[in-house]
Amino acid sequence: MGAWAQGEPPPDLSPEVFAIARELRCPVCQGESTAESNAGVAVEMRRIIAEMLAEGRTREEILAFFVERYGEWVLYEPPRRGITLWVWVLPFLGMGLLGLALLGYFRPKKALPPEVLEEAERRLREQET
Amino acid sequence: MNPALLGNLGVTLTLAFSLLGAVLALLAYFQGDGRYLRGARALVLPAFLSALAAFLALEWALLTHDFSLAYVARNHSTQDPLWVTLVTPWAALEGSILLWGLLQTFYTWLASRKALDPWRASVVLAVLFGVQSFFFGVMATIASPFETLPNPPADGVGPNPLLQNHWMMAVHPVLMYLGFVGLSVPFAYAVAAMATRRYQTWVEETRWWTLIAWGFLTAGKVAGMWWAYEVLGWGGYWGWDPVENASFLPWLMATAFLHTAIVQQTRGAFKVWNFAFITLAFAATVLGTFITRSGIIMSVHAFAEGPVGPAFLGFFLVSTALGLGLLSQVAREVRDTAVFRLLSREGALLLGAFFFSGWALVVLFGTFYPLLVEAFTGARVSVGAPFFDQVSIPIGVGLLLLMGIGPLLPWRRTRAEVFRNLYLLLLVLALGTLVGLLRGYTPGASLAVGLFLYNLTAIFLLAREGVLARLKAGLSPWGFLENRRRVGSLVVHFGVALMALGIAFSQAYRLEQERTLYRGQAWEVAGVRMEFLGVRARDEGRRFAVEAHLRTDRFGDVYPRLNFYPQMQGPLATPVVLYTPVDDFYFVLMDFDREEGQWASIRLIVTPMVFWMWVAGGLMALGTLYILWPVRRPEEAKGVSPA
Repeated sequence: MGAWAQGEPPPDLSPEVFAIARELRCPVCQGESTAESNAGVAVEMRRIIAEMLAEGRTREEILAFFVERYGEWVLYEPPRRGITLWVWVLPFLGMGLLGLALLGYFRPKKALPPEVLEEAERRLREQET
Repeated sequence: MNPALLGNLGVTLTLAFSLLGAVLALLAYFQGDGRYLRGARALVLPAFLSALAAFLALEWALLTHDFSLAYVARNHSTQDPLWVTLVTPWAALEGSILLWGLLQTFYTWLASRKALDPWRASVVLAVLFGVQSFFFGVMATIASPFETLPNPPADGVGPNPLLQNHWMMAVHPVLMYLGFVGLSVPFAYAVAAMATRRYQTWVEETRWWTLIAWGFLTAGKVAGMWWAYEVLGWGGYWGWDPVENASFLPWLMATAFLHTAIVQQTRGAFKVWNFAFITLAFAATVLGTFITRSGIIMSVHAFAEGPVGPAFLGFFLVSTALGLGLLSQVAREVRDTAVFRLLSREGALLLGAFFFSGWALVVLFGTFYPLLVEAFTGARVSVGAPFFDQVSIPIGVGLLLLMGIGPLLPWRRTRAEVFRNLYLLLLVLALGTLVGLLRGYTPGASLAVGLFLYNLTAIFLLAREGVLARLKAGLSPWGFLENRRRVGSLVVHFGVALMALGIAFSQAYRLEQERTLYRGQAWEVAGVRMEFLGVRARDEGRRFAVEAHLRTDRFGDVYPRLNFYPQMQGPLATPVVLYTPVDDFYFVLMDFDREEGQWASIRLIVTPMVFWMWVAGGLMALGTLYILWPVRRPEEAKGVSPA
C-alpha cells in the first residue's frame, strides 16, 4: 500500500465547509458534489474552502473563486441570469399552462348572460367609489 | 449444450414467439376472429418459459465461471461471493435488459390470465407482445448477453464494486424493474380502451394494475435511497441524479393517475388526462432506460455507451406516439363536461394531479436542461440538488396540504361539517408549526411538524368517520378494516407524511464534520466521544480492505472501512451507520496514513430522523399490499360480520 505517494493528512473540516462543498460539482466525477467525492480534486477543493473560510471569506466569495477557476458549470444551483435563467422560469410557465387547462373544470361552461356581468361590474365600481 | 447456446436459443425463441404472438393478436383484432386470439394466448407461456431459460442460462454461465461469454468475462470473477454472482445478471447492460425482458414476459403471462372481452384482450396482447419483441429484438441484435469471446480469459474483474458493496443491490434493481415493467400493462390497457373505444371498465381494471406497479416502484425507490445512504458514503439518500430523476417521472405520473382514476370511477370525468398519464408513465420508464443506457448523461447509474441508446429513444418515441396519437383520435368522445367545485373531493384530486404532473414537468425540464443548453450553445451548465430542492418544496407542501383535507371532502359539494374539519386541521397545522418554531426549529422543519400533525389529524378524522358510520348502522367497527382501499390508502398517506417529516428534518439538520485523528487521539462531537485506536488491513481475496478502529462511548467499537477493488482506481468507502430513533450516526473513513497507520481521517455525519424514512417506506409498501390483497368472497365475509 505504501507504493503511492501521499501528502499531508486531509484538513479538519467544519459543517460550514460541507455546506459550501455541497453546492459545487466535483470537476472530475460522474455527477457528484465536492462534499461527497473522494477524488483528489474534491479533497483539494474542500481544503481550499476550509482555508478560505479560515481567512474570513464569505460563501459568495468562495463560490466566485471556483467559478473563476472552473466556469459556472461547477455551480449546482444554476444562476438566475443568462442562459440558466430559463431553467427557473420555463417549468413554471409550463405549470401555469397546465393550471389554465385544469381551470376549465372549475368554471361553469356556459358564459353568464351579459346583463348579469354588467350588473356585477356596476356594483364593483360603486363599491370602489 | 452450453450456456451460450441455451441462452441464444432462449432469446431467439422468445423473440419468435413474441413476434408471432403480436401478429396473431393483431389479426384477431382486425379480423375479429377468436381463433387467432387463442393462438396468441397459447404463445404467452412458451415466451415466458424460453425467456426464463435464457435468464437461467446466464446464471448458469456465471455460476460455472464460463468466461467464454463476454458478459461473464466483463462482469464476473471467480472471487465473487455466491450472492454477488447470483445478482450479476443485472449488474450491467445486456443482463439487465434480459431481466427486464424476462419480467415483461411474466407480466404478459399474468395479463393474459385476466378476463377481458376478446377485442380488448387482442389489443392488450398485441401491445405486450410488441414491447416484448422490442426487448428481445435488442438482445438478439445489438446487446446480446450471450456474445462469446474467441479467446476467453482465465478470470474476470467482477461487477462494478459499487454494486457488490451492499446486499441491497440484490433487491433495489429487481423492485424497480418490477415497477417499470408493471407499467406496460396499464399502457396496454389504455391503448386497448382507446383502440376499441370501450372506456366503461377501463379505469377500474387499469388502476389495479397501476397500483401493483406503483407499489414496486415505491419500494424500489426507497430501497435505492437506502442503498445510496449505506453505500455511497456521503450520508445522503437522494442526489437528484439524472437517473434518479428519470425514475421519479413514472412514479409521479402513476401517482397522479392513481388519484385521478378515482375521479373517473366516481364522476366519469378526467378520461383524457388518465389516458395521458398512463401513456406518459410508461413512456417515462423507456425514457429513463434510454438515459441510463445511452451514456448521454453523467451519473452513477450510467451503463457503458453503446448502440442501444438510439434503439430505446426510438422505442420511446413510438410508444409515446401510439398512446398520444390514439388519444387525439378519441379525445372528442371522452371530453369532459363536468364542472367541479374547488372544495370537493374531485377538486382536491384534480389539484393533486396538477401538482404531480407539474412536479414531473419541473423535474423533466431540470434534468434535460443541461443537455439542451449544450446541444444548442455548446455551453456547459449544471442543474443540481439546490435547484430541485427549491422547486420541490412548494410543490411538496401543496401536496401534503391536499393529502390531509382532500379525502375528508365530500364529492360534488361542500357540507357545513366539512368546514369544522377544515378549521380544526388548519388549527392543528398552525399550532404544530408554532410549537416547532418555539422549540427553535428552522421554519422549514417547523412547517414539516405542522404538516405531519395536520395529516395525522386528518387520518384520525377519516378513520373515526368510517368507524362511527359503522357503529351507527349497528355494525362491528372492525368492519372498517375490510374497506381495504380506504384503510390501505390511510396507511400509505401516513407513510408519506412520515417520509416528508424525515426528509425535512434530515435536510435541515444534517451535521457533517471531518477530522484527522492520530493514534490515541479522542474527538468529542455531537454527543459522541470517539478514540482512534489504529488501522488494520485485511486481504479479502476479491478486494483489499482497510478498517479504522474507533472506540466510542455510545456505540462501542466501530470499524468504518475503505474497500480497494482491483478494477477501481480509488478506494470505496463503506460507512458504519448506527440508527437510533432520533439521530443516525454515520462514520466514514476518508483516508489513512499509508506509511505507518499513524492517523486516519474520519468523517462523522449526524442526521436526524432518517430511521423513520425507512419505516415510512415500509409502511407505504405495506399499505399498497393491503389494498391489493385478494378480498374474501362476500358470502364468506357475511359469515364473519355479526350484522
